[in-house]
Amino acid sequence: MLSLSDIRLTFNPGTATEVRALRNVSMQINEGEFVTVIGSNGAGKSTLLSTVVGTVKPDEGSVKLDGLDVTDWPAAKRARYVGRVFQEPRLGTCSSLSIEENLALAAARGKKRGLGLALGKKDQKAMFAEHLEKLGLGLENRMGTPIGALSGGQRQAVSLLMATLLPMKILVLDEHTAALDPSAAHKVLTLSAEIAQERKLTTLMVTHSMRDALAYGSRTLMMNAGQIVLDIKGEERSRLKVSDLLERFGRAAGTEIDDDQLVLA
Amino acid sequence: MTLFALAGAFETGLLFALVALSIFMSFRVLDFPDLTVDGSFPLGAAVSAAAIVGGFDPFIATFFGMLAGAAAGFVTGLLNVRFGIMNLLAGILSMVALFSVNLRIMGRPNLPVYGQDTVFSRFESVVDAGLWSNTILLLIIAIGAKLIVDWFLKTEIGLGLRASGENPAMAEAQGIRNGAMTLLGMSIANALCALAGSLFAQMQGVADVTMGVGTIVTGLAALIIGEAILGRRTVFLATLGCVIGAVVYRLFIALALSAGFIGIRPQDLNLITAVVVAVAVVLSQRRGKRGRKQLFNFKLVRGAQQNDEGQD
Amino acid sequence: MLSFKKAVLATAAVAAIAGFSAPVLAQDSDEKTVAITYIVEHPALDAVREGIIESLAEKGYTEGDNLTVVARSAQGNMTTQTQIASEFAGLKPDVAVGISTPSAQALKNSMGDTPVIFAAVTDPVAAGLVENPEHPEANITGTSDKQPPKPALELIQSLVPGAKTIGVIYNPGEANSVVQVDEIKAAAGELGLEVVDSPAAQSTMVPDAARNLVGKADAILLPTDNSVISVLEAIVTVGERAKLPVFTTDTDSVERGAVAALGFNYAEMGKVTGDMVAEILAGKTPSEIAVVVPGNQDLFLNMKAAEAMGITVPDSVKNSAKKVIE
Repeated sequence: MLSLSDIRLTFNPGTATEVRALRNVSMQINEGEFVTVIGSNGAGKSTLLSTVVGTVKPDEGSVKLDGLDVTDWPAAKRARYVGRVFQEPRLGTCSSLSIEENLALAAARGKKRGLGLALGKKDQKAMFAEHLEKLGLGLENRMGTPIGALSGGQRQAVSLLMATLLPMKILVLDEHTAALDPSAAHKVLTLSAEIAQERKLTTLMVTHSMRDALAYGSRTLMMNAGQIVLDIKGEERSRLKVSDLLERFGRAAGTEIDDDQLVLA
Repeated sequence: MTLFALAGAFETGLLFALVALSIFMSFRVLDFPDLTVDGSFPLGAAVSAAAIVGGFDPFIATFFGMLAGAAAGFVTGLLNVRFGIMNLLAGILSMVALFSVNLRIMGRPNLPVYGQDTVFSRFESVVDAGLWSNTILLLIIAIGAKLIVDWFLKTEIGLGLRASGENPAMAEAQGIRNGAMTLLGMSIANALCALAGSLFAQMQGVADVTMGVGTIVTGLAALIIGEAILGRRTVFLATLGCVIGAVVYRLFIALALSAGFIGIRPQDLNLITAVVVAVAVVLSQRRGKRGRKQLFNFKLVRGAQQNDEGQD
Repeated sequence: MLSFKKAVLATAAVAAIAGFSAPVLAQDSDEKTVAITYIVEHPALDAVREGIIESLAEKGYTEGDNLTVVARSAQGNMTTQTQIASEFAGLKPDVAVGISTPSAQALKNSMGDTPVIFAAVTDPVAAGLVENPEHPEANITGTSDKQPPKPALELIQSLVPGAKTIGVIYNPGEANSVVQVDEIKAAAGELGLEVVDSPAAQSTMVPDAARNLVGKADAILLPTDNSVISVLEAIVTVGERAKLPVFTTDTDSVERGAVAALGFNYAEMGKVTGDMVAEILAGKTPSEIAVVVPGNQDLFLNMKAAEAMGITVPDSVKNSAKKVIE
């Protein structure tokens, strides 16, 4: 479903602040896979996400979504196929707009926006209410409330809903629980896993928590210094504990890893 | 205050409501501080005056003025979106260039339409309310513009525009092309401002190349006063605030001028405007929860805004 | 060793410089250059400029033949006016002409010893252009349109019987206008009239200033003030609606809707100014030419405006007018 080939990206090339953010990254994600990505700060995970989502174009290499070469597509064009949940609850929604209006924006994603009333579609409100009900937060009764009045956890839940409202090719979760308190984070993560499983969504989740990286999804990528240094799935992954991952992480961070050498102990 | 001055205040107030709506679109909705208005106001005047003198029907001439304004806004947007020029500077560049453009359009520094058919003379031939004819026509136009803006911001495109201005990253993630939204919004905003300029020239009988100076200040004052009175919880209230704020502002000026006490003269207007706007801004910050205003509540309780995020 | 390309470029550069300087170097001493600048385009100022050129033609100086005229408008912008004055200084004309007070002042600062003629300057002494109008002490002289306000006020009295208060709209930032308003007030005092002044700092404030006079004045008199006259129609609109008659001190405004004005014929003034320029070109110095205020005042009348503003014009007045607009 998602295929990154030989992606290279350098910020500020040739200057004192040059950063080689992505060094020859290649990976494939199959349809329905739920992949988690971890790595220390500066490892390149956000940049990786940015190339998938389209806010940044790689210097070399290609990004393909379900066979479509989207490397040159700007983020707005790719949005049709990409559902995205931001790290900050404030970033993913418009504070002054109501829950219903935010959902309407998501419902129009990828479609031509015209002069029809955004909230005017016949069964739209009912459909929104149905979805909101599933969140179990009582938000279906507050659809007219400005979303800025909601708590961070509630906003992220709505963001998640917005990202998955329409059929899409890949769901991108960008450390989406990092700004939430533990209980809200847990709720949102559980929700994410449920929705992904229920609809068999191809999911790419970046997280800063090793525990979450192992607890959710079916495959984990570890990044360091602009490269993918570890790619674990299946049984081996299910046997791993956080301490094991930490050890592997330390090893990978200390040495220069060749592309071929994805060692699984 | 004479009845004459009162009618004058309402006329100019309703006319500048259009400017306030324009500033609302650019400053508030698009988050684009747009100085083009000092140029698009006289542009609307110049194009309409030239068209009227050239024999066009005044309504068509007014429409031409609006089109010209839209083009000016589009250019400012283009400078920003396509060429990466900072929004404030882009507006300034357009405003400066428009001075020469307006001179070219009129062929002279001022162009009279006195004695020609204007939308006002046409209206008066149908509805003669004496001193209040202009006010009635302007009321229809101002309220009409307000309702159209309200409606537009509720459409899919309009909602996209609001998202683009408030949160460009989120808008992009929803498939909205921010650049296109900026161009559209700027065109609409400046079309409104040019409409105001066109009407002003037809009302006063002459289009003058310097008549745009200070448009931004008047528009901002009207917008801010309106927000102080009505808040901006919903689009309906915000645009209503534009109309009411503009009228209140002009009434206040007319009052100050006619009263003559404290020796207020027309040249003090700039100072008065600054004071009024400052007071309005300060008052609008003393809000209770959920935007319910508490005017004149000087027992300021800091942290009265307890609802998180969002609410200004 | 110079490459061929560089040699060609160098030669071309030298040729260009020679080409551009040739006309300057080869300037005929019989060909005269007159540089004219004016603060803004305005019917009165334009008429003066054209009058100057006409007079020069009559005196034997023809444009394109033995006369080069450089004319520049400052577009109402003082910074531009200063730039133009510097440009003229570099041009080294035989005479520089400044039509309007700000233009003349800018030239005074920039032209050094070159003779400067001012035109349509209301008060050359207050403007710092000459100290002694009878016998200019430096290289500056010219024509003035200093109008005695009394005849204008008397005209108002004759057309608006019972008028007690005169309203005056002007830009307090124009020194010229402030002087005129003071003189109007003095003359009004002598005639037993009151004056209410309504200042407008820029043309956008003029309609407000006009509205402000409704109910306070019986008639409006406008001095020659560029920012006010440029939007005259706005005042006329107010005047018609409130039946408040509008009088001006420049005759072009009468055609635009003012009831009446006594005015200088600016084309005439241009001619007189042109005569002065011709004298300088023939060899005189400015200190030999006294400042001139052209004598005649014509009455211009607009019957349609009079009716619209509620004025009945007695036949005696109508018959004495130089120009009547129906």
